Amino acid sequence: MKKITSGIFPISLVLLAASLPLFLGAYPQAVARSVFTYMALALTWDILLRSGQVSFGIVGFYGLGSYAAILLAVRAGMPPAVAIIAASLFAALIAFALGFLVLRLRAMYFSITTLALAEIFKVIIHNWNSFTGGPEGIVLPQVVFNGDSRALYWLSLGMVLVVVAVSVFFEKSRLHYSLTAIRNNEIAARTSGVDIFANLLITFTVTSLLQGLIGGVQVFSYGFAMPDSAFDGNYTLLPLAIALLGGIHSTWGPIIGAILLGVASEYLKLKIPYGHLLVYGLIIILVILFIPNGIYGLVRKGRSKRNG
Amino acid sequence: MAELITKKLTKQFGGLVAVNDVSFSIKSGEILGIIGPNGAGKTTFINLISGIYLPTSGSIEFDGVDISQKPAHERARMGIARTYQLIHPMENLDLLENVMIGFLFAQKQSIAKARANAEALCGTMGLANLHRPVSKLTMLETKKMEIAHALANGPKLLFLDEVMAGLNSDETKDMIATVKQLAKERNLAVGVVEHVMGVIRELTDRVIVLESGELIAEGPYSVVSKNPRVVQAYLGGAA
Repeated sequence: MKKITSGIFPISLVLLAASLPLFLGAYPQAVARSVFTYMALALTWDILLRSGQVSFGIVGFYGLGSYAAILLAVRAGMPPAVAIIAASLFAALIAFALGFLVLRLRAMYFSITTLALAEIFKVIIHNWNSFTGGPEGIVLPQVVFNGDSRALYWLSLGMVLVVVAVSVFFEKSRLHYSLTAIRNNEIAARTSGVDIFANLLITFTVTSLLQGLIGGVQVFSYGFAMPDSAFDGNYTLLPLAIALLGGIHSTWGPIIGAILLGVASEYLKLKIPYGHLLVYGLIIILVILFIPNGIYGLVRKGRSKRNG
Repeated sequence: MAELITKKLTKQFGGLVAVNDVSFSIKSGEILGIIGPNGAGKTTFINLISGIYLPTSGSIEFDGVDISQKPAHERARMGIARTYQLIHPMENLDLLENVMIGFLFAQKQSIAKARANAEALCGTMGLANLHRPVSKLTMLETKKMEIAHALANGPKLLFLDEVMAGLNSDETKDMIATVKQLAKERNLAVGVVEHVMGVIRELTDRVIVLESGELIAEGPYSVVSKNPRVVQAYLGGAA
């Protein structure tokens, strides 16, 4: 019974999200798409964080996926769905190869290296004029679904549901135990049979694949890619703020955080241009100081108290 | 029947030789004490055997296989387990989940099977209320969880690094009985590091003595404890 009721809430939430375009106009739908994009990125960041590794390079694989998708469409004439899937796999492949180097690093050395990687990807794409279009970027002849806002909304929702499903899988499978063990005590995890490197490599590759997927979907929704927008640092910072506010080490946290921050920032953008960035900064500081486990962390705490 | 043999095992950190040319063996059914003054290299020795460190030279053989260069997780899967002197349980996992880790990854069991086995193991160790966070456990419970965590590997060889430290005399008695019973039931080879000589006397069949990384004596506790070199190592000076 408990299982059935606990399934009802998420399912009705998905149905509600899927039916929103029937009531909402094009502008709120566009806001929702942006919320979904940040939500998905925040989830991918959190999945890797469950192993204790703090990535500052979310935008790297997101940008790589964006460019791979648009280049596969423009230069190789691939249809959108194929290009998006191929771009995700490309991001995964690069992450897998780089994983052999960067996953030997820990703590700030890992974080700084992921930050540097994102910058390196950007510089390569920026300077490879003949192939990538250089600083001016590259434009798709046609946006998917002819730019129909409802279809784009459902595409974006589908993408976030894929990411949520992966996040839930990481929470329910053996990976939950191995990653938590690695995060809490790497040495004890090793002597309990956990293959640290294999676990980190799988997680890094899968989260990068998803970041590539999100980039691919984004590029087909907007129809162009430029180094400064595809590798915009906000794609690293905002997901971080979202996950921290909502609650790290969970699937619900980034979902809650993205809805709150996404809607709040959209409102503030209208009131005070760039004011939303100020709010993000304040939220990061306040959350770290007063609710380090985020909003969902408070919910979890309350629930475990009630259960004894 | 399992046997671990080290030959001329050496670990050097820069200019410091923490373990120097140690050759010894331990086999199933035997409880071996590893004693020596602070800084003698006891924990480094266990770190070498469990694979936390790789040796500078020398070899480690387990069940006839040279494991000197094998990573720690592979040694765990072969049947080597250990506890830690400074216990840092996995704080985001509850008591039961902490014990499940070895079943899941050293023994590669399914989640359901690992949970059932961890529950049973906690039962035999006298641990109850298994969904408590590990921060709520008493010292004795923490130590027992640490042993259960190691036993979850399904080991043939188990090293206990100061599991009695911090326990009162009743708890120590309880722990000695538990370790003896486990060793017997599971036909384990057990290596015990302890500073309390009463525990070593009660628990072990044989001891080795390390001083400055070198093995200086070996034999039953009653004999080794009278060895002048051992007495000198402990008391120092011209004893």
